[in-house]
Amino acid sequence: MPESLSARNIVKHYGGVVALSDGNLEVQAREVVALIGANGSGKSTMSKVINGVVVLDGGQLLLDGQPVLFSSPQAAKNVGIANVFQELSLIPQMAVAENIWLTREPLNTLGMVDRKAVQTRTEELLALFEGTYKTRLHPDSPIASLPPDEKQIIEILKAISSDPWLVILDEATASLDSRQVQRLFDLVAKWKEQGKAIVFVSHRMEEIFRIADKYTVLRNGRTVGAGNIKDINEKQLVKLMIEKESVLGFLRGEAKSDAKAEKEISLEAENLTTESLQGVSFKIRKGELVGIGGLRGQGQRHLLHSLFGDIPYSGTVKLFNDEIHFKHPREAMRSGFALVPGDRAREGLLYIRSILDNMLLPSWRRFGLPLKVNNAKKEAAQVGSSLNLKMAGLDEPVSSLSGGNAQKVVIGKWMMREPQVLLLDDPTKGVDVGTKAEFYALLTRLSEEGKTIVLYSSDDEELIGLCDRVLVMYDGKIRTELSGNTLTKENLISASLGVAERDRGTA
Amino acid sequence: MNRSRWDSLIARQPALFALILLVLSIVINFILQPNMFARETLNSNMRVFLPIILMAVGQAIVILGGGIDISVGSIVSIVNTVLATRVGLDGSPERMWQFVFLSLLIGLLAGAINGFFIAYLRLQPIITTYATSFLYAGLALLILPNPGGGIPANIASFYRNSTPLTLPLAFYVIALVLVIWLYLSSTRYGKFLYAVGGKAEAAYETAVPVTLTQFGTYVISGLMAAFSGIAITMLSGSGNADIGGPMTLNSITAVVIGGNALSGGIGGVAGPVMGAITLGIIQNIISFANIDTWWETLVKATIIVVALAAPGIVNLFRRRA
Repeated sequence: MPESLSARNIVKHYGGVVALSDGNLEVQAREVVALIGANGSGKSTMSKVINGVVVLDGGQLLLDGQPVLFSSPQAAKNVGIANVFQELSLIPQMAVAENIWLTREPLNTLGMVDRKAVQTRTEELLALFEGTYKTRLHPDSPIASLPPDEKQIIEILKAISSDPWLVILDEATASLDSRQVQRLFDLVAKWKEQGKAIVFVSHRMEEIFRIADKYTVLRNGRTVGAGNIKDINEKQLVKLMIEKESVLGFLRGEAKSDAKAEKEISLEAENLTTESLQGVSFKIRKGELVGIGGLRGQGQRHLLHSLFGDIPYSGTVKLFNDEIHFKHPREAMRSGFALVPGDRAREGLLYIRSILDNMLLPSWRRFGLPLKVNNAKKEAAQVGSSLNLKMAGLDEPVSSLSGGNAQKVVIGKWMMREPQVLLLDDPTKGVDVGTKAEFYALLTRLSEEGKTIVLYSSDDEELIGLCDRVLVMYDGKIRTELSGNTLTKENLISASLGVAERDRGTA
Repeated sequence: MNRSRWDSLIARQPALFALILLVLSIVINFILQPNMFARETLNSNMRVFLPIILMAVGQAIVILGGGIDISVGSIVSIVNTVLATRVGLDGSPERMWQFVFLSLLIGLLAGAINGFFIAYLRLQPIITTYATSFLYAGLALLILPNPGGGIPANIASFYRNSTPLTLPLAFYVIALVLVIWLYLSSTRYGKFLYAVGGKAEAAYETAVPVTLTQFGTYVISGLMAAFSGIAITMLSGSGNADIGGPMTLNSITAVVIGGNALSGGIGGVAGPVMGAITLGIIQNIISFANIDTWWETLVKATIIVVALAAPGIVNLFRRRA
């Protein structure tokens, strides 16, 4: 078995986006290395480079000091690297046993899969998590019929079934309950004794300190720190994850929140619950700009879409004290809601259609039947110029615009309806700095005009600089509310990782 | 409770629906044509069904792997025109077998062309095979512009009238195909097929040779289309460049009736075989019930639309409930 794997100065681009610019990671046998970083810091890309799913653009992988190149997952597998994927690499239509042994099925002399051997070996693996299953898990159970935690366990068993030397656990504990996590950690301890190495990618500080021996911190695609876990504490790790030299591109209006505290409550949610929201409650005042923070995928997107009537939910939502329960975005739009979705290209725009078509999409009716094209054009041009939309003409296709200008069209189409409640899902993602500043000015102006704005952003600085308050979500709940003096980057990141809450609990 | 048990039954046995439909259509056919199980009738039916059965088997494998092959009918036409023009009515048996062999190579090659475009160049299966279907149909027309030519009568009669142990020849062919499928589906390639059709990305991450697996499905489909072309040539005894075209939709219908998901990864080959037989029997029923033949397309199309829409309709009711 190999003794070490090192990734040196790894570079990886996806199109124009740099995912890793200088990624470094050292793993030794009999060690657990925690790979840590904020959203978009390159953790997943790093693990994909190591297991051959993506091919690196620069840098080197060394196995026991010898350079290796993984051109496919097969190549990495051949040297004993196995991965537990965050998104799971299971085929839903196939059975548990078939999934675990895919590409490594024991064969008989005729080249047929030896069903008996598959069965017994699968049962041996399933026994590792014996007693933590909620269903009667069986080698022949189809994956699609399993609950998320058991799918995750199968994904872990699949990785370990090849008896790998290095196991990458990418957010493997996210959907496990505490008993299952404990069982996994017991196994990790055993694997260490057997001479295996483990890379533990996680957001959960508590777990990192429980099982990791070493840590490696990524920030913006660079490795910014590494060492022994016993030489560092949670606070120091969080500090490493935060960019120090960054500058806020704009200033927060001083004491704004105080004036707004007087205003009436416009949007109120109580115990909002969906598949991924576990009882979210909040009150937002008229003219308030409230941020939703937290790690990606903690239910923020679900929250915005539920409010917009896009995802069914239980619980109560009130708008100016009137209970509302939208079953379709159409109803939300009639009540003055607007949603700027997270995936601009897929949900926000008709790319090949003209700017005018896109701007008019939510307001066709207002311009009558037959359509008063000139009125529509005039209004669209006004909105366009108020947003400083740079375009060759309203009839140009949206695909001719840059990312920032395309996003202006998404916002512009809602501005034409003069919304009272604006929901934004990470609107500045992939938008250039100049346009970002314009957005910030626009959002500030709109909130001063008395609109209610709910902004989810993966950019922590944006939340701190722009918002009156930030609600930090974790595991489908609002865990922490930050405002005024408590709204700092450190608090925001700690809260995102669930650290603050634990501190409070132990204090 | 009942509903979920039915669901899991269908999930484990996707061909169950095909079996029910097959039994139902046999019963109706039997009422209209009481002698349908007589040796002669059975054989004359099965020899007509065999070409579409063979084609459906290839189509089933492509669809299992997440693709679709619209060019199969045109491959049949090429094979038919080659055999009819090169062997001739007075050709020797040796010459016939040589060209049968050549036909199989043609099928493999045509399938490999499809597979290359789809698996290696990553083009859309439906667009690619639609385009190559014209290419292959054009070639067939070039080989035999007007219907004509033929194969030796004794070879055609061997196909039409062989009933070893009083069972139609087609039964033996079907049994052989099913045995081969049973073997193939329990090899690694079989598992890869389901994995690629089920979720290609996850299969790739698991180090399944996704490209090669996809490529393989089109080669198999091309080969099965060639067998289908040989069978239909022996059945008709003559050549016609238009013979394959109408078979394509039938092969897809057979696969859908057979319980395979058009999105891939679910189903098998036995279901589509039953589906193909059911289609043939429906044709019989239509002719015996004195229904005008133009009803046939409508009935088949209704079946395919219902079979496609059924899961969606069931889901819709569940959401309402």
